[in-house]
Amino acid sequence: MSRAAQRDIQPRSGLAGLRERLGDEGFAFGLRIILILGIGVFLSASTQGQSFLSTANILNVLRQASLIFLLASGLTLVILAGGFDLSVASNLTLSACLAAGVMKATGSPLLGAAVALGCSTFAGLCNGMAVTLLRLPPFLATYGTLWILQGLAFHYMGGNEIFGFPPAFRLLGTGFVLGIPVPVYLMALVLALGTVVTRHLNIGQEIYAIGANPVAARLSGIPVRRRQLAVYTASGLMAGVAALVYLARVNSADSGIGEPLLLPAIAAILIGGTSLFGGVGSVLGTVAGSVILALVINGMNLLNVKSTWQPLVVGVVLLVAVLADLLSRGRRERIG
Amino acid sequence: MRTWNTLRLAGIVAAVVAPVLIGAQPAHAANERLAAFYKNQVDPHFGLVRGGVEAVVKQMGAGAVTHYAPTRPNNLAEQLSQIEDVSVKRPDAILFMAVDPRGVVPAIEKVNAAGIPVLNYNDRVAGGKYTTYVGADDFKLGLDTGRYALRAIGGEGLVVIIEGVKGSTTSDQRVAGFNKAIEEFPKIKLLASQPGNFQRLPALQVMENLMQAHPRIDMVLAAADAMALGAVEALEAAGRKTAKVVGINGVPEAIAAIKAGRLLATGEFDGYKIGCVAATAALRGLRGQPVPATIILQGTVIDRSNLGPWDVPMDKRVCPKWEEVAR
Repeated sequence: MSRAAQRDIQPRSGLAGLRERLGDEGFAFGLRIILILGIGVFLSASTQGQSFLSTANILNVLRQASLIFLLASGLTLVILAGGFDLSVASNLTLSACLAAGVMKATGSPLLGAAVALGCSTFAGLCNGMAVTLLRLPPFLATYGTLWILQGLAFHYMGGNEIFGFPPAFRLLGTGFVLGIPVPVYLMALVLALGTVVTRHLNIGQEIYAIGANPVAARLSGIPVRRRQLAVYTASGLMAGVAALVYLARVNSADSGIGEPLLLPAIAAILIGGTSLFGGVGSVLGTVAGSVILALVINGMNLLNVKSTWQPLVVGVVLLVAVLADLLSRGRRERIG
Repeated sequence: MRTWNTLRLAGIVAAVVAPVLIGAQPAHAANERLAAFYKNQVDPHFGLVRGGVEAVVKQMGAGAVTHYAPTRPNNLAEQLSQIEDVSVKRPDAILFMAVDPRGVVPAIEKVNAAGIPVLNYNDRVAGGKYTTYVGADDFKLGLDTGRYALRAIGGEGLVVIIEGVKGSTTSDQRVAGFNKAIEEFPKIKLLASQPGNFQRLPALQVMENLMQAHPRIDMVLAAADAMALGAVEALEAAGRKTAKVVGINGVPEAIAAIKAGRLLATGEFDGYKIGCVAATAALRGLRGQPVPATIILQGTVIDRSNLGPWDVPMDKRVCPKWEEVAR
């Protein structure tokens, strides 16, 4: 056996070896856990452990992370497959506004939910068709959809807000089951589903393959366009789910609710270790990214960090998270 | 014969002179064009401002008003391009409020150079020349609302402030007012002052986080109604019944919340009045009537006892009388 082949078979030492043993995703996730724990330790020390480490606060942070995660979960699949969906936030806005209007008019949470999910999934489907049938570049196609959905929301709301939803519906955002907030269960459910799909079903492997190398994927007989359609539709669906959780938490809708959520959703995905180019990453990573984002704000509020410093702190934490990932990745790429 | 000729001459002179006399009337209705700027299309406050502007344009018989608001909320790039649009279209007067008090200054200076009169309303821009400023006194609003709130809890207790966006004059001034009010009550302890970005969800989450750190909070001073309502949702969801919240603005949802007992009070930053007075000032300026350089609208603290005038749909609202506001 040649020296080179032997080198490939022996497990490597050090950081690169650890990465091999855990697998890319395991390593990336481990890195983020360390980051989360690091922030956690710092915050516990600073707040004397009382407020930060309490069960109530941890559940609080998880609940806050869940909204961004739900919005970003479908988008993660799209990015894994090498695409992009800029319209998720506007999709959330329009779905939420329509659901709000329907719930106000009919008093029925079920009808509102149906409208939200139906419209958001349909928008996702349209994105998918624009990318697969019209062959538009994903960035441009979804940027166009962003404006269309936002414009429809403006038109529908007319500068007004809709507020006050049925208490049964609000349980989705404010309710607790066995002491754990309902949105956290949703996050766990979507995480489980997402992980099963991406790791244990063929469709998941195909999505990664399409993201890593679309030509090879196509030549291997993977129905690339059908899978792309599926991920864009999933992204739309999850935007609708996030819209419902938003309405249940905040109890109000206006045409500006989605826009501030787009960048945090993308950031959560990237911090979680998913590559913008596709083929690398995980839904679990997006959970970690969402939690890190929520943790930072939680920490700043608990420590009463002055508002002048807050953007700086957020920026530094994000850079550290991305840098840590790049550093660990870089060493591997340089070997072999 | 001579009488008849004189009469004909008189008739011809009259026929020539009369149209000139009629045409020389001062040009009132139908040709003054205004342009009105807003910060976004989502905050109901600006819907009220717009309502006031349009009401006056109709009442005073001006020509038309074009409304400019960024589609992406508070987006500076969009507002800058709208300012460029307006310097090309050259309306007779501009009612202006900035999404960023400093960022718009160069663009406004160009409009000044083009000779179009600009009136600054809602909140101050950090530069440029304006014929008039129409707005509220944010510091005083913060001070009055803060005093009301602190008195309502007996002058002692634990208080948190939810700020807007750091660097926004509205937020900074109102928060400064809150802080001044807190200074006046030595038994009040300020637990924390955190930013809510003028949006509901961030304020809700800030409130959730603050509740983790502080098991008892007596009063929440929020620099805007949207944030106050977010805080109310968070407190209600957590079952914290003793905490009270005040906001600033007086938008319809806040009024409804005060009626329902969920919000204690709100400082009046009445968009409708601002729109009315600003449009009136602009038209008066164009018509050569006197207009003061600064008009500060006094705001009351709205609570359950006096919310009647604000609990009115927009089409029933009434503009304040010019003589009352322009002193």
